[in-house]
Amino acid sequence: MKITQMTITKTLVRTTLMKAVAIVFAIGCGSTVSVIADEPEVSGDKTVLIKAEVIHTGTGEILRPGCVLIRDGKIVEIGESLSVEGVKVVEVKSLIPGLVDAASRIGAGRLDDERTDEITPDLASVSIVDWKDIDFLQQLSGGTTCVHLTPGTSNVVAGLTSAVKTAGTIDRRIVAERTGLAISVCSDPASGNNARSRPDSIYIRQPTNRMGVVWMLRNAFHATQNDKFASPAMKDVTAGTLPVFAVSRTQHDIQALMTLADEFSFHPTLIGGQECWKVTDEIAERKMSVILQRVIPGSSRGDERTRISADMAARLNKSGATFCLSGGDLLDQMRFAVRFGLPAESALASITASPAAILKIDDRVGSIVVGKDADLVAMTGDPLEFSTAIQWVMVDGAIQFEQAGN
Amino acid sequence: MKIQVPLISRPWKIAVVLLLAGSTTAIAQDRLALRGATIIPIVGERIVGGTILISDGRIEAVGKDIEIPVEAKVIDATGRFIMPGMINVHSAAGMSQANEQNANVPFLSVVDSIDPIADFFEESRRNGVTTAAVVPGNSTMIGGRAAIVKTAGSYVNDMLVKRDAGIKISLAPTTGTSRMSHFARLRRELLKAQKPEEETSIEKPAEEVKPEGEPAEAPKPEGGETPETPGATPAPSAQAETEKATREALVSLLKGEMPAIIYCETSMDVSQALALVDEFKLKPILVLGRDCYKAAKLVADRKLPVVLDSTMVYWRTDPITRKEEKIVLPKIFSDAGASYVFQVADSGTSLGTHYYWYQATTAVRYGMSADAALKALTFDSAKLLGIDDSVGSIETGKDADLVILSGEPLSVSTWVETTIVGGKVVYQKSEDAELRLLFNPEEDTN
Repeated sequence: MKITQMTITKTLVRTTLMKAVAIVFAIGCGSTVSVIADEPEVSGDKTVLIKAEVIHTGTGEILRPGCVLIRDGKIVEIGESLSVEGVKVVEVKSLIPGLVDAASRIGAGRLDDERTDEITPDLASVSIVDWKDIDFLQQLSGGTTCVHLTPGTSNVVAGLTSAVKTAGTIDRRIVAERTGLAISVCSDPASGNNARSRPDSIYIRQPTNRMGVVWMLRNAFHATQNDKFASPAMKDVTAGTLPVFAVSRTQHDIQALMTLADEFSFHPTLIGGQECWKVTDEIAERKMSVILQRVIPGSSRGDERTRISADMAARLNKSGATFCLSGGDLLDQMRFAVRFGLPAESALASITASPAAILKIDDRVGSIVVGKDADLVAMTGDPLEFSTAIQWVMVDGAIQFEQAGN
Repeated sequence: MKIQVPLISRPWKIAVVLLLAGSTTAIAQDRLALRGATIIPIVGERIVGGTILISDGRIEAVGKDIEIPVEAKVIDATGRFIMPGMINVHSAAGMSQANEQNANVPFLSVVDSIDPIADFFEESRRNGVTTAAVVPGNSTMIGGRAAIVKTAGSYVNDMLVKRDAGIKISLAPTTGTSRMSHFARLRRELLKAQKPEEETSIEKPAEEVKPEGEPAEAPKPEGGETPETPGATPAPSAQAETEKATREALVSLLKGEMPAIIYCETSMDVSQALALVDEFKLKPILVLGRDCYKAAKLVADRKLPVVLDSTMVYWRTDPITRKEEKIVLPKIFSDAGASYVFQVADSGTSLGTHYYWYQATTAVRYGMSADAALKALTFDSAKLLGIDDSVGSIETGKDADLVILSGEPLSVSTWVETTIVGGKVVYQKSEDAELRLLFNPEEDTN
């Protein structure tokens, strides 16, 4: 064992027709791979029984103690005590579902901002994913097993979002290729633009203010209604078959979004929502889901100079709105939300079941329920405490990250 | 309905500080008793339902069966936890500008730059930090003298625990300077201070400069007139004055009157720092940048406690193997057998690293015991700064710097309810207007 560094093992399990073949890689492998001799416990076995002192299922239910039986990467049985003959048994302190990050821009090498055109509804975030990006590993090590990739906010209609796993074989990593359309109802598309500049500059474009952003969106929707050659994604949005994820932070942008939604009959999910405490009732009334963006605890200001309330998650929870947390370090974000007033019993759902439901991928991820993917996080104690560590993270039944020394 | 609250502005803050200070002086002269709490003295076992008796700003008695004098003011802390005030060992946030542009300014003192109403001190009290070492930043070669202050007071002089608490030395070269020349220059400055005075002063002899008085002042009639060409004298004498002050400060460093607070940017700086320590017999306090983790064994072997970087967990890609590693500083240093204390980030960019207590939870997450983490926040930090005779634990005779917590320390829902410095209540959560506004922005009339 090396003393100066943590050893990370990454396991990729590929289930072929009959046999599960375990391939153990050193992380970041690429082509230079050092094979680690002793294989992590769980991987490679088709059937594994996990016994935990506590299981938080993510839906608010707690099993104390609890058992989860996993077969072929899926959860097949759950109970307080299960006894299955001849399977590998893994014992842990506490078990939670793999975390779901509902708004993330990882894995794209920060190259997901479109600047040449304001309306690019058919660009797909999933098409540029670097599956071996270190971002995925970092998120995985923090317990996140599924991320919602949203394109950048530099143009008005940014493109298609997708949900992917943070680890596993590439053919299994795409959970949903087309979860929705990302639009930016905020000042981001207007910032940096110029009406006059060098003729070949990509920054000569509209909009240069917020009005322009709204105007462009309205145009895009009108064009879709009137043009049979309109973008397929925009058509799906107006037909109500493709959800809209709108990045809006300030109160007036959130209200502009609501106006647009009424005008063109779509039901957007809010990403950001820094100032949604000003319109909590309206959000609850409209049943608008909110994906809160990460803010710095103890700060009174968020992105775009928004005024934030420290107990935003708690307020949304109280109002009955569907909401979740996003933007990395999900466990610590949840803990700060609890510290700032979010009831403990609703906390875990805000980073597991709730984001999965918002993204409509809850048939596969977000909770420990029979039939769902075996995406699990083993922890050393109460997940709500800052001092609790992650022991290992499992994706599709294989341990993909293990914290040495725990 | 909106509730109107008074406007919070800077003058108002001063008023609050003065008010608190004023209203509590009376209590300090009297006795104060904290009753009913679980006391975590750091040295020794926890006392459940114990009493702390304070008189004249110091702890008079701690224990279970302490008789509370009738004249004592009593704070009932039943169900609460009391621990010693935490000690921030290294921060430039309490001063107005962390780094000096001149590379060699050991004569400067942070005392002249400390703003008692800086947000830093308010934030410290809010989070249970009662003592802070204000240290010049990491970018100046010899950056000036650090001072240790209490985090409450209206004037710097009220706050001072130790005026000359060390000289800050940085081994990180400034932009445009190579590591070699930075280190060579640092060594040259120390060597210069080591030599007797005559050899070093190439300029005017020392007697030309008056020891205390203002050199620019017209000379008093002493015997004959000494006509001086105006403009020619002030420049060299000011320079000589600076050199003298530099020399004095470095001589006191070399005599061991002050520790050398040495910032190491990379692990190679650590061995350089140790070489300096040996050559000049310095009393070191090592402040390690996050990439210094490869020198963990080095400091462990020397039994030198160190100050860890505020970023304690991060990922790096090995430049050769391209293998990605998760670097966990507390674990690496613990495994190497080194002892360490924490520091906080000046401003929050990551989630919790600007909270001192949060840093301790990170260490606990990676294997440190909760007791050891609390000790690092208090006693170990006091010891590192050499002020453990007066602060860092709850013991008879020590300063009454105490924090009343709503629950078990380091737990997610535990808040600082009351902070006491020198026997005076300097913070109460129930009266914290800024904290209230963080949760009730609709009440903000600004």
